[in-house]
Amino acid sequence: MHEEIAIGGFGGQGVLFIGRLLTEAGFREGHEVVYMPSYGAEKRGGTVWCNVTISDERIGALFIARPTVAVAMNSASLSRFGQTTKTDGLLVVNQSLVPEKVARHDIDVVYIPANDLAAEAGNSDVSNLVALGALLACRPVISLRSIHQIMEESLRKKQKLLQMNQKALEKGYGWTQKEYAGRVSGLKAVVNHVRREDAG
Amino acid sequence: MAQINNKELETLLGLRPESMEEHPFHFCPGCGHGLVFRLVAEVIDELKIKERAICVASIGCSVNSYEYFNFDGLESAHGRAPAVATAIKRCHPHLVPFTYQGDGDLAAIGTAEIVHACTRGENITTIFVNNAIYGMTGGQMAPTTLTGMYSTSTPAGRKPSLAGYPIRVCEMLSTLEGTAYVARVAVHSPASVRKAKQAIKLAFRTQLAGLGMSLVEVLSPCPTNWRVEPIKAMDWLAENMLAHYPLGEYKVIEAVAALQKEVSHA
Amino acid sequence: MSEKTLMAGNIAIAEGAILAGCQAYFGYPITPQNELLEHMSKRMPEEGRVFVQTESELSAINMVYGAAASGCRAMTSTSSPGFSLQQEGISYMAGAEIPAVVVNVMRGGPGLGDIGGAQGDYFQATKGGGHGDYNIITLAPASVQEMMDLAMLAFELADKYRNPVALLPDGFLGQAVEPVTMRQPVTEFPDKPWAITGAVGRPKNIINSFAMDPVDYRPRVELLRQKLIKIKRNEVRYEGIALDDASLIIVAYGSAFRSAMTAMKMAREEGFKIGIFRPITLFPFPVKPLSDLSQKTRRFLVVELSFGQLIEDVRLSLGTGAQVELANQFGGVPISADEILEAIERIMK
Repeated sequence: MHEEIAIGGFGGQGVLFIGRLLTEAGFREGHEVVYMPSYGAEKRGGTVWCNVTISDERIGALFIARPTVAVAMNSASLSRFGQTTKTDGLLVVNQSLVPEKVARHDIDVVYIPANDLAAEAGNSDVSNLVALGALLACRPVISLRSIHQIMEESLRKKQKLLQMNQKALEKGYGWTQKEYAGRVSGLKAVVNHVRREDAG
Repeated sequence: MAQINNKELETLLGLRPESMEEHPFHFCPGCGHGLVFRLVAEVIDELKIKERAICVASIGCSVNSYEYFNFDGLESAHGRAPAVATAIKRCHPHLVPFTYQGDGDLAAIGTAEIVHACTRGENITTIFVNNAIYGMTGGQMAPTTLTGMYSTSTPAGRKPSLAGYPIRVCEMLSTLEGTAYVARVAVHSPASVRKAKQAIKLAFRTQLAGLGMSLVEVLSPCPTNWRVEPIKAMDWLAENMLAHYPLGEYKVIEAVAALQKEVSHA
Repeated sequence: MSEKTLMAGNIAIAEGAILAGCQAYFGYPITPQNELLEHMSKRMPEEGRVFVQTESELSAINMVYGAAASGCRAMTSTSSPGFSLQQEGISYMAGAEIPAVVVNVMRGGPGLGDIGGAQGDYFQATKGGGHGDYNIITLAPASVQEMMDLAMLAFELADKYRNPVALLPDGFLGQAVEPVTMRQPVTEFPDKPWAITGAVGRPKNIINSFAMDPVDYRPRVELLRQKLIKIKRNEVRYEGIALDDASLIIVAYGSAFRSAMTAMKMAREEGFKIGIFRPITLFPFPVKPLSDLSQKTRRFLVVELSFGQLIEDVRLSLGTGAQVELANQFGGVPISADEILEAIERIMK
């Protein structure tokens, strides 16, 4: 197991939040992890990014040059990840804000209307969770259950936000399974994992 | 019968405060530092805090002031004594640190440190000796050098257009909410020395009562760099310094005033 | 299983300091170490210890001096421009033999520079930095775990030698989040009979770095010199990776070392036998262990985030016989594994 995940978007889109979720989940599942955020003054507005490395070996570089998995929440990050994503890697593109397409055939690309699906879940602010759902549908680097558990703990006092986040995660996961079944390597059948796990 | 040595004899006869170390003075004839040291030592004896007192020395003629006291002391970098004293007091509230600083140390290079110690209302005491000149380095202009006054770096006299104005420390610091007691005294006459001691004592009592920052500015003669004789330096101080640096109490918060009354009733 | 938790580098330093019994923290905000100061503002009062946000880094280092002179374990943290301001106080502490910990989460410079990570303060930390003859022990963490562990070690060494110790991570490590195994709090502390704690039942103590007469000061400085010799003999720390078969050895520390690890893996996949030598103490520099390696290979590649500062110590250690190359970045920009790999390929061809 060695995944290098890069996520980019506007400040305020929750890029760092889903990065932290992936890191925490990888950590809880017993892997080595490194989370490296961009930092500085750009809390809102500018492009922020984070790198998450999940591995079963001692992790070297803090920064990821060629991600195996990338999420582009805005155009600026797509122009970066469109080129740097590793062959056989996965690139999730937030189609609601990014009209561009990627002219590559050596990677899986998922175009997902994250803001629109988030709006359906209750609030377009949770587009980050939709994108995370899409990522996990295509590359189960960590389990959905871990993400749910962490959110339940960290958002215990914000039940409304928690429910919205959960809904958005399910939406992204379900939508991707439905729309991209057979088109993304390893993504074959529509299985409603989320509901099944909830029931379990 | 036990022998009494000189030091014990001096102490017994009240010639030397217990808090004063037997140490030869390195100061010039007529310098005010010796007087101020003695006043501080007497006050510390009277308040019985010799075992809690910490002398935080500064840079300038007062550089080794800890040598003259018979209790713990340390040197601090130029201007930083209030920061050093702050830390000692915060870490050991039972100790009684005081800074002993000259005008260059406190009012030039250490302006930030004294202003912010006062702003935070640190429960420490500062003895600020103002002789309007840099003594140790040989008579250059101090921040408190008077307008028109000669110094080796204002050979034509201090011109405000070139060198600015003499800074009034008590007036400035008394505006800060964290100061509890701020007074300016002098040591140019027996009467003024008595008043100076009262102020220094009240400053330490302010700290002991935990009331906040206390500062006593002491106008003090520097005959060598003023280029006058020791006795004449006393007159020089009265004639030249008092007009620009009026003596008096600039800040006495209510709780300190109450302390003051306790004394006069006693 | 020992308790592991996810933590940012800056926070790990703060928690390490608390575990080590740091009784007083003084600091001034500067990016990229603000999380450390903010964390201390919450944690130190919780522990009943002293926290002061100061008016400047200058004031902070002098408060550290005051607290440490009165026997407390004390620390400040800053980033490069603030570290420059603190050189005055560090020199005074070295002169007065005051144990204290100074954290410099290095950023891009010179001047105001930027808030990226850098290693341009290597000379300043390891060669004295302030005025006069002295050195401070300088520890370079390369993981969040080490941010905690070396923060704890810093306090121990400071007390052991009565000397300031610098912890020198770069800004990237300060922000990085990694799993950390929590350590046990230190419970035993050395006596400090020299401290100014009030002259109760003993002669007065004086702390200074001054003598009126140079003849009196020289013997004191001679003692400092002997202490530094002892530190050089006893406190060298380093890590070696895959050195046995290495035909090229990378020398790197901090986040540059992390990139070098990835580069090493890539290079070995290409068949290049690469090893890594990582100094953990930048002062004392591991001169002997490094020069011993030159028996095995003559080729070295220094990777660092500066024009070339570490490389000078590497060259001094290896002498003239070795081939010492440089792969670097500077100005607050990280070095990528790709850049290091290119340098490896260039040398190995």
